[in-house]
Amino acid sequence: MLGYIGRRILATIPVMAVVGLFVFSLLYFAPGDPAAIIAGDQASPEDIIRIRATLGLDRPFLVRFGEWSWQIIHGDLGTSIFTNLPVTTMIGQRVQPTVSLMLVTLVFAIAVAVPLGVVAAWKAGTLIDRLVMGLAVMGFSVPVFVVGYILAYVFALELGWLPVQGYTPIEQGLWPWLSNLILPAVTLGLVYIALIARVTRATMLDVLSQDYVRTARAKGLSQGPVLFIHALKNAAVPIVTVIGIGIALLIGGAVVTETVFAIPGLGRLTVDAILRRDYPVIQGVVLLFSFVYVLVNLAIDLFYTVLDPRIRY
Amino acid sequence: MTATVAPFPDRAPQAGAPPGGTLSKASPPPGLAVAAPLPDVIPVRKHRGPVWTYVRRNPTIVVGGLLLLIVFLMAALAPWLGTVDPTALAPAKRTRMPSAQYWFGTDMLGRDVYSRVVYGARVSLLVGFSVAFLASIAGLAVGLVSGMVRWLDGIVMRVVDGMMSIPPILLAIALMALTRGSVQNVIVAITIAEIPRVARLVRGVVLSLREQPYVEAAVTTGTRMPAIIWRHILPNTLAPMTVQATYICASAMITEAILSFIGAGVPPSTPSWGNIMAEGRALWQVKFYIILFPAIFLSTTVLAVNLVGDGLRDALDPRMAKDV
Repeated sequence: MLGYIGRRILATIPVMAVVGLFVFSLLYFAPGDPAAIIAGDQASPEDIIRIRATLGLDRPFLVRFGEWSWQIIHGDLGTSIFTNLPVTTMIGQRVQPTVSLMLVTLVFAIAVAVPLGVVAAWKAGTLIDRLVMGLAVMGFSVPVFVVGYILAYVFALELGWLPVQGYTPIEQGLWPWLSNLILPAVTLGLVYIALIARVTRATMLDVLSQDYVRTARAKGLSQGPVLFIHALKNAAVPIVTVIGIGIALLIGGAVVTETVFAIPGLGRLTVDAILRRDYPVIQGVVLLFSFVYVLVNLAIDLFYTVLDPRIRY
Repeated sequence: MTATVAPFPDRAPQAGAPPGGTLSKASPPPGLAVAAPLPDVIPVRKHRGPVWTYVRRNPTIVVGGLLLLIVFLMAALAPWLGTVDPTALAPAKRTRMPSAQYWFGTDMLGRDVYSRVVYGARVSLLVGFSVAFLASIAGLAVGLVSGMVRWLDGIVMRVVDGMMSIPPILLAIALMALTRGSVQNVIVAITIAEIPRVARLVRGVVLSLREQPYVEAAVTTGTRMPAIIWRHILPNTLAPMTVQATYICASAMITEAILSFIGAGVPPSTPSWGNIMAEGRALWQVKFYIILFPAIFLSTTVLAVNLVGDGLRDALDPRMAKDV
């Protein structure tokens, strides 16, 4: 068991190294010579070469990659070209809205998708099943920002039930915080719900045909406990796996959702950085998101033994 | 005639029923089902021809295919569908509401939204299908190499794992940050982001095929590797690849719209659905239609591609159809 955990953690190192290499290449191949920018318009070619040497920009790719990795490991993501602030500071200022959005979305999506999938599997082949699966296809097809604008238009502009845009920090009260996040969370959650509901249905269909489910029904247990205790427990592993993989959808969607709902989070930071070509910030955000994604999936892998004690490594 | 010989005692004629094999109309014992009496003449099923049968068996493919065909025709016939120059500026006629003259209204620069939406279909289709094609070819190559060449497998898969741990949209955004916005660059960026998934899929198929007896037989009889790949491996990857390609096509269309929407996609002058929505963003609270029309077209097109994909999956892999 400990051996498995150790191996699994070690296995994330090459993955993160590839991510690092990609992200570093981004800056390495980015157009524009930093030395020329620092030297200014008046500089002679010799000046630029000298500055390049002092900055260490003339050294080989791998040497620079090693040095850069060393800095990253020590928590230094560089400095923004645009604001001159450390990238870590800029990310720190934007973390709360994004984390809030993701958590609310996660809770909402799981709370909706899993029961939908269970009911669809239970009523497989019926109208309810078709309806749920039809909704899932819609969820995959309607882009995040389309849903976002339609929801915002109907529920915020026309009906006025919820705030249109913006973000209120949680320190200013739970309801103001939550009310600003409901529409973005529903928007962001739709694809996620589609994904989870589909996998839940498929796994549940498998489990429901097992003998112990028949036994549970035969001994007179009512549908509720059979579905949600006997069956769902045994369907947990694939469902939790897809929840982890789906985080990638959530991260990609957050970039768009934050733009639609004017939430000052990491997604918004990414979009601003793209428009300003602020490469260190882009680098930092991509690195952070990928790291979180890898960590979440690592945690889920290690969590399997808790979910299903039959799994032993 | 005794009841004991009948295979279904409950269906056996009751005592006293007239002999001759006609089913008894007497009420069955309580709690037992009785088979419905058979009609004397079985009605002839109307024969509706092979097309109707196909439609009835594959409703998703047909509906999706028809929708997609309409979008294709719209893109191909764009200049003849009552459109004007989609880039023509008319500052005096800014943000007009939809009307008989401007079917979908005009945007902030006075451009006709209807014309832009119709021409925008070209960009979406071009990006969707190019990415699906290029990513499939590249992913197939990577997956084949990884699946067939043992010592390369570890390295290739670590790279694929790494690429897959960057959320695809973020990966495409990062790549777009390196270049100017153009349709070509968007296609390349999304393709790179999609390759790892295809490679994974192909590798999985190849690994399972390698263990198949007929592949082993081919190896034993001295068939050379390229021939084995060409004759035994490749044909079997086609079905899952085709299904995957349709899903890539759908997701590439969405990614293109997202890139254009946040300003990292095709240049603003090119009419694309994402661009039109990006331009409508500033005005969405008052001029919602600028966003609504391209949104409807984008969603419908992606839905059509997904329906075709689902239909193909059900048709090509019946085992999957039962599960998912």
